Amino acid sequence: MNRSLLVFVVLTLLLAPSLGSANPNGVGSGTFDAQCGGACHGDADMNRSSTATVVVDAPSVAYEGLLTSVSVTVSNIETTTTGLLGFFLLSDLSGAGDTPADAGWTIVSNSEGGSENYVEAVIASGQTQHTVHWTLRAPPVGTSTLHAAIHHGSEDGSEAPFFGATVSPTTIEVVEVPEDLPRLATEFEPPVRRTVGASTTVALSTEHVSDVSIEWRVSGGEVNTVSVTSVADDMWSFELPASLQPVQLEWRAHLEGDGPDQTTPWFQLQSDEPSWTVDETAAYVQSLAMLLVFMVAFLSLQRQSTTTVKDFDTFDHEEVA
Amino acid sequence: MVSAPTLHVVTTELAVGSFAMAGIGFLLAGLGSHGWLGMKRHLQLADHVAHFALAFGLLALPFAIMTGIQSSPGEGLDHPLLINKMLLGSSAFGLAFGVLLARRSHGADVWTSPNGRRWQALGGMGAVGMVLLTASLGGTFARGESLLSWLPVSFDSVPLMPLWLSAGLVVLALVNMGLMRKQQSA
Repeated sequence: MNRSLLVFVVLTLLLAPSLGSANPNGVGSGTFDAQCGGACHGDADMNRSSTATVVVDAPSVAYEGLLTSVSVTVSNIETTTTGLLGFFLLSDLSGAGDTPADAGWTIVSNSEGGSENYVEAVIASGQTQHTVHWTLRAPPVGTSTLHAAIHHGSEDGSEAPFFGATVSPTTIEVVEVPEDLPRLATEFEPPVRRTVGASTTVALSTEHVSDVSIEWRVSGGEVNTVSVTSVADDMWSFELPASLQPVQLEWRAHLEGDGPDQTTPWFQLQSDEPSWTVDETAAYVQSLAMLLVFMVAFLSLQRQSTTTVKDFDTFDHEEVA
Repeated sequence: MVSAPTLHVVTTELAVGSFAMAGIGFLLAGLGSHGWLGMKRHLQLADHVAHFALAFGLLALPFAIMTGIQSSPGEGLDHPLLINKMLLGSSAFGLAFGVLLARRSHGADVWTSPNGRRWQALGGMGAVGMVLLTASLGGTFARGESLLSWLPVSFDSVPLMPLWLSAGLVVLALVNMGLMRKQQSA
């Protein structure tokens, strides 16, 4: 009887994992190597090949230390009922040490409102194509390659995870910056997030620039311009309009100077609803209060309980093995 | 350099594993102290395992909390789940600490009286249950799902008391604790 029970328990424990589906709600954005995606508990070889097509698009030439834009487009999308699709931007597909940062790139922003190499997009039902943009700072001079990969579940979540990658990487030649090239200053970091209803004033620092014009658009929409104010030498200021709902606004700068005119990549600025706030002091004090109250209440309870009559020997030492 | 999220996974598994073992220990000790299911002979073993595992879980808990705060996206407490996680976690910590202090003060006598053994077992299991619920809130926050998502409890609203009431409770608890110590030493 005991042996049958043991076998039953062991079989139940062994079969239990197959009843679950790994991370059906995704793992969230992050900096992850290929295939891992924050869910390294399974063997990557257990993945099945995705039927989706993954294409990475980038300029063939980038300037060392300057910003450039890379996009990853996935077509023939198949994903789960939740619509989650994970996008990776990678420097190779070895599965370890293969983030863009490992090859010297610095991710400044991505179109999902973060600055990680892995993002999760929610694909609407019937949508067959989706593009994610990254803005990166180029590595030292040399030839660099970038890959893209995706992973997702099946429609009903019952099968193994699917993995897909670019057939061939995109190759980028990173060259030295010409001395008088109009460019954004190395220390300039474009804003990536803001709250709905608030306009954004951007302080733009440049090098070798005599004039700046700014274009903006709501993602994929009509292009507009804003006026730019010169604050000081190579310091500019402009204001991007507020959005009335959570939306992604893109902007770019045309830079003029002694050298050849330059246009920056489109920078993405995601607006979100104001984050939830709370009186943190009240929360911390209540936390301390609950800790003390639970502790003292239990001690008082036990103090009264143990003064009542004993009806039981504490430990029957003779019976203890 | 190990990142905060990785450390959080390690410390959480350490804390939750210890608390889970403590929970089973308190269940067995509760059964044993009542003489049910022939568990009386295992009472000493269950008592030691339960309290040691609970103490070890309490030691691991601050590391789990610190790494959890460091690995949390955003700034500060900007989500109801995080506040509820903190309130539930501190309540569990207080209850677990109370269970350990009671065992230390009264020794094995906590299992000798009907009410004593009942509260000790229930208190231990309650603290473990609260810690497990706290841990599951982390899964809900990070991945939108957890093993305890089926529970009909919503953590989207925060039962926040006014500051004066919380401060009053702190004072009341401290006074109560002082009186208990005074009576003990008298």
